[in-house]
Amino acid sequence: MAVDPAARNARLAELIARVALADQRAFAELYQQTSSHLFGVALRIVRERGIAEELLQEAYVNVWHHAGSYVAERAQPTTWLTAIVRNRCLDHVRKRDLDTVSMTRDADDDAPELSLPDGGPGPAEMLLAGADAHAIRECVERLEGGSRQAIALAFFQGLTHSELAQHLAQPLGTVKSWIRRGLERLKVCLERAEITG
Amino acid sequence: MNLSRPDRARRLDLVAAEYALGTLPARARARLDRVARGDAVVSRAMRDWERRIALLADGAAPIQPPPRVWTSLARRLGFDDISDVAPWWRRLGFWRPFALASFAAAFALAVALLAPVAPTETVVVVLAGPDARPALLASVPRGERVLAVKALSPVAVPAGRALELWMLPGQGAPRSLGLIPAAGTGQVRLPAAPEQAFRGIDALAVSLEPAGGSPTGLPTGPVLYTGRLERL
Repeated sequence: MAVDPAARNARLAELIARVALADQRAFAELYQQTSSHLFGVALRIVRERGIAEELLQEAYVNVWHHAGSYVAERAQPTTWLTAIVRNRCLDHVRKRDLDTVSMTRDADDDAPELSLPDGGPGPAEMLLAGADAHAIRECVERLEGGSRQAIALAFFQGLTHSELAQHLAQPLGTVKSWIRRGLERLKVCLERAEITG
Repeated sequence: MNLSRPDRARRLDLVAAEYALGTLPARARARLDRVARGDAVVSRAMRDWERRIALLADGAAPIQPPPRVWTSLARRLGFDDISDVAPWWRRLGFWRPFALASFAAAFALAVALLAPVAPTETVVVVLAGPDARPALLASVPRGERVLAVKALSPVAVPAGRALELWMLPGQGAPRSLGLIPAAGTGQVRLPAAPEQAFRGIDALAVSLEPAGGSPTGLPTGPVLYTGRLERL
């Protein structure tokens, strides 16, 4: 895993800058460097291969047209790219929820399929795996079990509050407060880590 | 207004967090997007949370998108010469798209190396060491009761030692598949037809054993490589 994250991010920022100048080769390299990660992110949220492919494509179209708005001082390239893909996928699944759920408000009969496309590690492990390289591993570990699990499921699989409640067999209010408390703690802990780290 | 300000800040922070996490319903998402366009404080809160949340995204296993995503993306953007821009993955176009949990790029490379025989495989495993670099490729030719093993680069095996290949079931002890060569290609015979032999098997591993294989029937030496079983 020898690629130095700082060097990788510097390279990606450079590629994005060149994409802003309509450099097709830079765009191809950017795609090559980032598409597997971003496809993994997309597929976990939308869970349908064809749609994930379409959304990934749209996200890259977005990147091609808006690379000029990327400001390196504000966000790491991977953060920026991940946010574009996640937001597109989340918009999609939330709109789909709206279409399918609006008739049956409690959504109980609309159980999402929770299996992952590849039967890989569970969301909680992925949360820790992602946290591995950063000081945030500690922050994630410090979350209570319920908070950690709910945040992991919401994050990696794009579940809504009611889907989470159903999946975790907990009342909606409990799940909401797990998420809220978890996010608040995560923020405090991450901010401390950013300052000291 | 002054009195409610701290409360408003806290609420905004929470909404921004749930936006980034993805738990906001569609209408609230759309509303926040709209507000953020004209409100720097709101968009700042959202960006801050996207940054925090993105740190967690590193944990998701990468999955190689099929080549057609790039091809149609390039077409959609009106790129001049797609084949010139994307020389390497275009060559994988023959390959049926499939989910891949790890070593995505390495896997594509391995498949390219195997191009003449690859389309008939049923089970493929890329074995890699702790550095995640692929070292061995194991695959079952369709309809056969053997596992073909190819060393992607020669493995340095000390004198008097040998490489032994193991099946790792979801539950229970590893099962030996026999010894494999340290360079070039080799074959190990499967104990049953591939569907049965690999039932419940999640991964393969290679350990370093005394010449002739593990005396105990279980791995005794260090595990050098592991790889997830991919069924195609």
